Amino acid sequence: MAVNGGALPAQWSEDLLDEQGQKLSKSEFKRRQKAEQKAKEQAEKKALQAAAAKEKQASGAQSSGPVLEGDEADADDLDPNLYYERRVKAVAPLRGDGGAAYPHKFQISARIPEFVAQYSSLEAGAQVDDVTVSLAGRIYGKRRQGKLIFYDLKAEGAKVQIMANSNNSGLSLDDFAHLHNGCKRGDIVGVTGFPGKSKMGELSVFATKFTVLSYCLHMLPKRRLENQETRYRQRYLDGIVNPFVQEIFATRSAIIDYVRRFLIDRHFLEVETPMMNMIPGGATAKPFITHHNDLDMQLYLRVAPELFLKMCVVGGLDRVFEIGRQFRNEGIDLTHNPEFTTCEFYQAYADYNDLMDMTEDMVSGLVKAVKGSFKVSYHANGPSEPPVEIDFTPPWPRIPMVEGLGKALGVSMPEDLETEEARQFLLQQCKERKVECGAPQTTARLLDKLVGEFLEEGCMNPTFICDHPKLMSPLAKWHRSKPGMTERFELFVNKREVANAYTELNDPVTQSERFAQQAKDKAQGDDEAMFVDEGFVTSLEYGLPPTAGWGMGMDRLTMLLTDTNNIKEVLLFPAMKPEDQNLHKTATSEQQQQGTNTTETDVANQLAACEAGINELQSDRERLQKLLASVQQGKPPDAVQSTARSSAVHSPPTAKAPSSSRPPLLPPGRGGTVDSSPEGRTVHLLALWRQKATEAAAADLANGFAPGVPRPNSARSVSLPRNASLPRNASLSMEYGR
Amino acid sequence: MQTSWRTAHRTICGAVSAPAKKAEELSSTSTESDMRELRKQKAADLRAAGKDPYAYSFSRTHFAADLHKQFEELPAGQAAETDPVSVAGRVRARRVLGKLAFISIEDDSGSIQLYVDKKALDGQEENAFKNMKVVLDMGDIVGATGGIRRTDKGELSVTANSLQILTKSLRPLPEKWHGLSDLEKRYRQRYVDMIVTEGVRDTLRARSTVCSAMRRLLESRGFLEVETPVLEATAGGADARPFVTYHNALSRSFTLRIATELHLKRMVVGGFERVFEIGRIFRNEGVSTRHNPEFTSVELYQAYADYHDMMNLTEELIEACSMAVLGTGDITYQEDSLSLKAPFRRATMHELVQEATGVDLDSFYGDVEAARGAAREAIQKLDLPVGEINDAPTLGHLLNACFEAAVEATLIQPTFVMDYPIEISPLAKKHRSRPGLVERFELFIAGVLLWYLQPQL
Repeated sequence: MAVNGGALPAQWSEDLLDEQGQKLSKSEFKRRQKAEQKAKEQAEKKALQAAAAKEKQASGAQSSGPVLEGDEADADDLDPNLYYERRVKAVAPLRGDGGAAYPHKFQISARIPEFVAQYSSLEAGAQVDDVTVSLAGRIYGKRRQGKLIFYDLKAEGAKVQIMANSNNSGLSLDDFAHLHNGCKRGDIVGVTGFPGKSKMGELSVFATKFTVLSYCLHMLPKRRLENQETRYRQRYLDGIVNPFVQEIFATRSAIIDYVRRFLIDRHFLEVETPMMNMIPGGATAKPFITHHNDLDMQLYLRVAPELFLKMCVVGGLDRVFEIGRQFRNEGIDLTHNPEFTTCEFYQAYADYNDLMDMTEDMVSGLVKAVKGSFKVSYHANGPSEPPVEIDFTPPWPRIPMVEGLGKALGVSMPEDLETEEARQFLLQQCKERKVECGAPQTTARLLDKLVGEFLEEGCMNPTFICDHPKLMSPLAKWHRSKPGMTERFELFVNKREVANAYTELNDPVTQSERFAQQAKDKAQGDDEAMFVDEGFVTSLEYGLPPTAGWGMGMDRLTMLLTDTNNIKEVLLFPAMKPEDQNLHKTATSEQQQQGTNTTETDVANQLAACEAGINELQSDRERLQKLLASVQQGKPPDAVQSTARSSAVHSPPTAKAPSSSRPPLLPPGRGGTVDSSPEGRTVHLLALWRQKATEAAAADLANGFAPGVPRPNSARSVSLPRNASLPRNASLSMEYGR
Repeated sequence: MQTSWRTAHRTICGAVSAPAKKAEELSSTSTESDMRELRKQKAADLRAAGKDPYAYSFSRTHFAADLHKQFEELPAGQAAETDPVSVAGRVRARRVLGKLAFISIEDDSGSIQLYVDKKALDGQEENAFKNMKVVLDMGDIVGATGGIRRTDKGELSVTANSLQILTKSLRPLPEKWHGLSDLEKRYRQRYVDMIVTEGVRDTLRARSTVCSAMRRLLESRGFLEVETPVLEATAGGADARPFVTYHNALSRSFTLRIATELHLKRMVVGGFERVFEIGRIFRNEGVSTRHNPEFTSVELYQAYADYHDMMNLTEELIEACSMAVLGTGDITYQEDSLSLKAPFRRATMHELVQEATGVDLDSFYGDVEAARGAAREAIQKLDLPVGEINDAPTLGHLLNACFEAAVEATLIQPTFVMDYPIEISPLAKKHRSRPGLVERFELFIAGVLLWYLQPQL
């Protein structure tokens, strides 16, 4: 079927042909579909605007009274900066002492979801005018119909319509028009009125009182926010426009809550162990380094809580767990973020067999509780491919690693893996099966590659791979019956490791020997070898009961249960590259890091990010030209600066990579030049980032803040002097937020 | 050389007529490394005899506390009719009386006595009793299985038919834990502290219970628990020195968060109307009894609420925590009896100062000097130090100085102090009706500031 010039069919099919008679690819089809949709929307909008203008003219001709506005002023083609400036100007007279803007508090009678639940059964056209309700939320849509104004009010995933009528408002026509013309899409409002349903059956509040509680100074995106850069950097905007975001984080919270309750119900005690240590033990990973000024001491951020939790078991806390943040100084990709959340638990007198049973109980119960079924549909190959079904119904297969690999390869594995022959054998296997393994080609690494290729690949449904060779597991206890192996298991789901556990090595002498080996590796330049913690060995000498330990990455589990395949989706504020670096490096460096995982959509997203960056640069340029002009006219630059957005201070934070750095955008004296000395650079960069964060925070506030947000009840506040000096962000909030 | 020094040392100590026990204690510490070698040897012997000194697992059927509860009614001198039970724990005391041994073990829940009869033990394995006497040391972790019996002296015991060393401990536990003198060691080797100092584990448990109680209450009010980043581009939300670190792959510096505030507020903007985070905060400051470079805070944000709502919530949280940990709202803290039941007293700073000193600072209509004179006189009459009253530049500062001098320490029962002068509260939102004041409260209990709040600008 040819689509030559004609309308597109609703669905793509293989026999579609383009103008040249070539087959029409799926992505091209999608692109065209989008373009068509957009053209249609624009045409509709134009028609609407024309009609509105006509009406306006007509009404203007009839009376010289106030003109009620719908959302025409919020049209798509309006320049966002102009919009912002207009709004700031409009709100300005209301601010300050005695101004009506930003009230302290609005008393709600119900949350919107509660209201919807209570009144959704009303019949169309019904009104309950003897009940008064007060609701608050954000305006997502505004329409005018004669002298009526309709709003879509949303909060916490629920929506209600507000109908404002000057007759009910107790206001003069003038005041009514003034109030509602001052309220735009994105504003936070409080409404008092009575519930009812419109004739069309739309659940509504017929407003008797309407108050703007907080203004959204920026134009809200009208459609779903798709640019990933913007979504993650301005997560609040993501939360405002993308309804699924709240659901992801509600699920995340539910998952963590389930795990916590599961453990507490089994008499585990939740503890908090140090995140900053002199020795980063417990895992092989590169740590973050920081410095404690007062103690003049180098500290590491923890890479795992393992050693501390085991010390708790030594101390008599037989069952402990910690759900907390870990830090690893490693690259960022689809499944790695520099900080992430794990749950680790340790149970005295249990072994890894017990923990396999417990893992089945916990994870299958969790999946059932969160998803309502043991079977989960998951887009393992990206959102554009059909989903796969993952079945969590217990029990799950348990595959001994070396035997399993032998079976998968159809060979008999060497008895003793710690010989050179065994290494050669594995090397041969890799070569035959074209499995690449970079140097150093140690037995452990060769095994890891083969297992990754031939065992893990089969683990779509939950599967335990267990009994790892000793040389792969320095903290696990040797196997009680299989020589050369350890009592350890890893849980794989969707071919990825989700949990890792073992019977803990509690013999201090053996532990000391294994640490010595790690120290030797470290001395030979393996910077991922484990740090040696003498204090931990000492604690083992006091006696660690037979104990099994278990760790799980909460982020990856959340990804599985929210059907997302990028860890950034399940982190509220994922770590990002500094914004300006992105413009130059996103596409290349992310591609390198993601390696073979790069999909078409990723590249498209990166491209979109680059394009957004270019646009931003262009608007930077315009703003800076204005700035320059105003400086030349003798106005203080700050006056202009304060209305510019954060991008105005972009200056490359890395002097290290001159090829990717942009020339400083600001005149000297505002910290735009790059100092080449390391100390100077650090100071300079810190100042820059501080400034950027400051402006970013201002931008957030400008997006409309619900009122009455209290100061944190932090335990720490106890010791804060009450007359603490003005924090940095306060002046800012005053500048933008009041 | 070393040995002779040690002997000499012992002799000297003995010569100063120290009690024999004291001398023994000293000798036990000075030969700790010998004992370690001896215990290592015992572990090796066990292994040689085919027994693993580091067992893989043990199926415990009961915690000590479960048994005490279940057999509460069992009279002295009687055995209970029950299936065999299995207990496990650390050996805290042992006494051998001929063919009987009494071993006290401690687990997570408490302690219980093992009643070990030579006949019963040897019935399972030849010479088991004798071997046990040789290899078992204080501090070892053992597992035992047997029946239940209350001894004639009234001690509930497990009559062990089998006794197994699960973990051989190589270092002896300190005979007696010297609380304050070993403070350094207590904190460095917290696990030893947990084993030997009573109450440490209970404190940790209480801490965990407090967190759980808060979580439950907040969740029941529709709050969502979230996790915001520890690593930030720049630290904000409080005035404190941050820790700085460097991320290699991104080639950029990060600071560790000094508050969770800014990120949580962004969540409220994003439509998460009620959020909280219980999490670690880091401040690069001195270490003292009340400051640690990392500490845990709870921050919560509720849209559309003001400081009255927050006072209500605070009361409920504190009462819920008290109920969860102690089962009552009436507690004794140091020497004071406190009632943590809601509602707490609420008073403005101004009212409290007037109550304590009799001076109404508002009656001076802005005349700082006159107000200062009256305040100073009143404070001196009360025999209190005048503190910063002489240096207060404004009426607001003066009010605060009077509060600190005359009121703060007297607030024993939970009290919300409201409406602070604007001069000392740069961050809070101005009071909706009273000029010169802000909508902020602080909660005092037992004369100490516990809770701190101000609605945001």
